[in-house]
Amino acid sequence: MKVFLKIALLCSLSAAAWGAEENFEQANVETTLPAIKRGADEVMGNCHACHTLKYIKYRDLVALGISQAKVDGWRGDEPMDAPLKAQMSEADAMAAFNKVPPDLSLMSQARDGGVNYLYSYLIGYFNKPDGTLSNHIFAETKMPDMLGMSNATDEVQKTAIKAKARDIVSFLNWTTDPHAAERIQLGKYVIAYLIVITTLLYLVKRQIWARIKYK
Amino acid sequence: MANNIMNWIDKRFPATEFIKHSLTEYPTPKNLSYWWNFGSLAGIVLLLQLITGIFLAMHYKADVELSFNSIQHIMRDVNYGWLLRYMHATGASAFFFVIFTHMARTLYYGSYRAPRELLWWTGQGLLLLLMATAFMGYLLPWGQMSFWGATVITNLFKAIPFVGDSIVTLLRGDFTVGDPTLTRFFALHYLMPFVIVGAVLIHLVALHTVKSSNPTGLELPAKDNIPFHPYFTIKDLFGLGVFLIFYSVFVFFIPTSLMEAANNIPANPMVTPNHIVPEWYFLPFYAILRSVPSLVGGVVAMGLSVVIFAFLPFLDRSRIPGGARYRPVYKAQFYVFMTVTIVLGCVGYRPPTSAAIAIVGQIATVMYFGSFLLLPFISKMEERWLIKRGLPAIVMALINEEAAEIEKHKQKKNQRNGVKS
Repeated sequence: MKVFLKIALLCSLSAAAWGAEENFEQANVETTLPAIKRGADEVMGNCHACHTLKYIKYRDLVALGISQAKVDGWRGDEPMDAPLKAQMSEADAMAAFNKVPPDLSLMSQARDGGVNYLYSYLIGYFNKPDGTLSNHIFAETKMPDMLGMSNATDEVQKTAIKAKARDIVSFLNWTTDPHAAERIQLGKYVIAYLIVITTLLYLVKRQIWARIKYK
Repeated sequence: MANNIMNWIDKRFPATEFIKHSLTEYPTPKNLSYWWNFGSLAGIVLLLQLITGIFLAMHYKADVELSFNSIQHIMRDVNYGWLLRYMHATGASAFFFVIFTHMARTLYYGSYRAPRELLWWTGQGLLLLLMATAFMGYLLPWGQMSFWGATVITNLFKAIPFVGDSIVTLLRGDFTVGDPTLTRFFALHYLMPFVIVGAVLIHLVALHTVKSSNPTGLELPAKDNIPFHPYFTIKDLFGLGVFLIFYSVFVFFIPTSLMEAANNIPANPMVTPNHIVPEWYFLPFYAILRSVPSLVGGVVAMGLSVVIFAFLPFLDRSRIPGGARYRPVYKAQFYVFMTVTIVLGCVGYRPPTSAAIAIVGQIATVMYFGSFLLLPFISKMEERWLIKRGLPAIVMALINEEAAEIEKHKQKKNQRNGVKS
């Protein structure tokens, strides 16, 4: 039975590995506050013009630790409890791209590959031989190359763009699950508690079962 | 004082008797392994799902315009809403994991065999209820995979002759999956768990009549039974602790590992996802569905793949008691079956694009049903071989005893017939 369980586990793990069909660049997403804040700057500067973040309110950004002055600059006349709407109207977006740009609140988990997909996509722009723009991850994309990867000429530029992309992914990873840090912290306590109580239960179990005599 | 109160109650309600019958004096085989923990564990997971589900329902809105947003409201604004939702979503997978293990134990040790057929069948009913509940619950987040999964599965009912289309419309409340579908699935998803609780009580009444099986498959003498409490209450509690550690790892550290990315996109009837894949616990059955070339055949095969477990008490013809303990061939069959099921699971996960995968799926499907249909012959052949090879005295004694009983029964019958004629 034990051997079988091991085989079953290996099978299911390899099945999970099977699932990842494309090879994405590893985002190695940062969950530190400075990275998320840098990402917020990048998103508000590069993405917010067209994309909504409808599950995030301006108040959430202040609660995260971004300065009130900065958030006030971003929100303009919008109230603190307003969701982050795109600066461009949906009608304008339809006119420009023939498609409403997707909401970004859940984007870091809305594609197979998750954060790695997003990172690879952001740095995946290149110029085809005929001069038109394309993307390694999503060739039909209508989004312009906001970070300028397709025009980067040297490694220094590329490294800087990759760092920006990583920060954007960090921020969007936070918007997808703002309670993740709290969850992981709580999880450590819960599991520590469970290990202690399970050990105690095991000792009690041994003590109680010691009364039984086997033939 | 406490005694007086208990006396007062006992005159009106058999409380003490009940506690004695089902806990402090309930005889349980002392040789049960940890594989016997999964029954009570399933009960606790059911409670966990009920409690988290009720609190989620306080914040959830079953409306195509609102439900996706209400999930995000639970995840972001409700106090510990993220915990409730991740516990409930992980709990569904945990429930199936526990139930599948519980079933695998029953298969391995032959616990479904006489006199536990009714216990096994009530368990089968529970599995069907659980599957229906899980399927309807999966629609509620109203993501892309929710919508398309429900569309594909409700479509299967079209295979029913004559009334198929009407049944599909009845299930959906509309011609396509839409707002009426969501509302009725929510109503039923809230109702079904309580039906399950009732079915669990029936399952327990059956269990407490025939008592637990044990690894040997033999009926143990009274001296080898010990009271359920305190021995198995503490053993089950310890098992629960171990289970909760694994469960918490999923809830707190990898809660999205079993969720599909496409379900983070709101349902859109105009856009079909590249690859519609059910939750992991339906994958083997889904693979069987896809392995049969025709729709009707596939639906019948899939239905049969779940229901066929109920026929096991009839299919296992061996006179050797129990399951794998004294029966090496049966044991080998068990492992083949488990492997085939996992292979089917892997096949179900893959998009149906390559011919190789399709063939592996078809071979596995044949082997899946073969495991059941060949069992009567294999179990008989195994019995003859094992009796020739020699079995432990205690097993032989039991077989001979049974044979003598049947012989006696026959003679009586012959005598009666003889008198008559």
